[in-house]
Amino acid sequence: MVDKEKEGFEFPKYTMKVEKAKIIEFALAVSLRQKKEDINPIYYDEEAAKKAGYKGIPVPPTFMTSFFFWTGGGLAEIVSVLGMDISKVLHSEEEYEYLGQIYAGDIITREMKVTQIYQRGKKQRAGMFVNVVVLETIVTNQQGETVGKVRSLMMERQ
Amino acid sequence: MPLTYNEMSVGNTLPPYTAGPMTRTHFVRYAGAAGDFNPLHHDETFVRAIGLDSVIAHGMLIMGIAGEAVCSWIDGKNLRKLSTRFLSMTKPQDWHNPENTKSRATIVVTGKIVKIYQENGEKLMKCDIIAKDLLGSRKLDGFFIAALP
Repeated sequence: MVDKEKEGFEFPKYTMKVEKAKIIEFALAVSLRQKKEDINPIYYDEEAAKKAGYKGIPVPPTFMTSFFFWTGGGLAEIVSVLGMDISKVLHSEEEYEYLGQIYAGDIITREMKVTQIYQRGKKQRAGMFVNVVVLETIVTNQQGETVGKVRSLMMERQ
Repeated sequence: MPLTYNEMSVGNTLPPYTAGPMTRTHFVRYAGAAGDFNPLHHDETFVRAIGLDSVIAHGMLIMGIAGEAVCSWIDGKNLRKLSTRFLSMTKPQDWHNPENTKSRATIVVTGKIVKIYQENGEKLMKCDIIAKDLLGSRKLDGFFIAALP
């Protein structure tokens, strides 16, 4: 079960490069396509991206999720640090605030903090009584600009 | 042509966006792309051990589909916020029973503008969104905020 003492806990800062190929993979995955010619060219062709008003190849709106999973041991590590049981965890909310653009080649730093841990639901209703963990992440690029903020809510069934 | 502030009003709707049917292969592709290897989304032995009868889609895959729906209407660079709650599990289409499982694995995203306003010198719209499967089961709801030229 989640360790309530972890409220306020800050995960180590992680840095990763936004790889061009990873953007294509992601755009294919969320559009349920097989080949890159079927996705929006802004995600693989720099010229097309520039024509569309971007400084470089941008990322799809939910791409910031990959900073959570591709750094610091991913989900398994995060869940284990918080003392949660992976077989009881469900992702229940996700919010992205876009303060700037993220481009292929950017070096991104993510700083994630556990802002709240609380219980929700009625104890007598089995399966409905859950621990809620709120994570907030600030995403910064190599110029030190905050390009995004993420708020994720995870639930752990008791 | 990009949509402009003057063309948008409360009640305008996001063109319905349909994706799927999704199979386990789509879940695996998403897992690899996003890095989310929770066995809940690909390992049938894990899901049976926790009392489910099928793997389920990543909530974030459904949100990713919602992001595609939004970007089919407005430019991604104009997005200011995207916020969703995950409401129910999505099971994939089964190869041995494709006809009966196709509707549960097909997602339709719809949306409606609820507010048009200006803030910090930007012309903005707030649009509620909802994703359902073809059986009408709600998968996620939420909203996005976008700047309009």
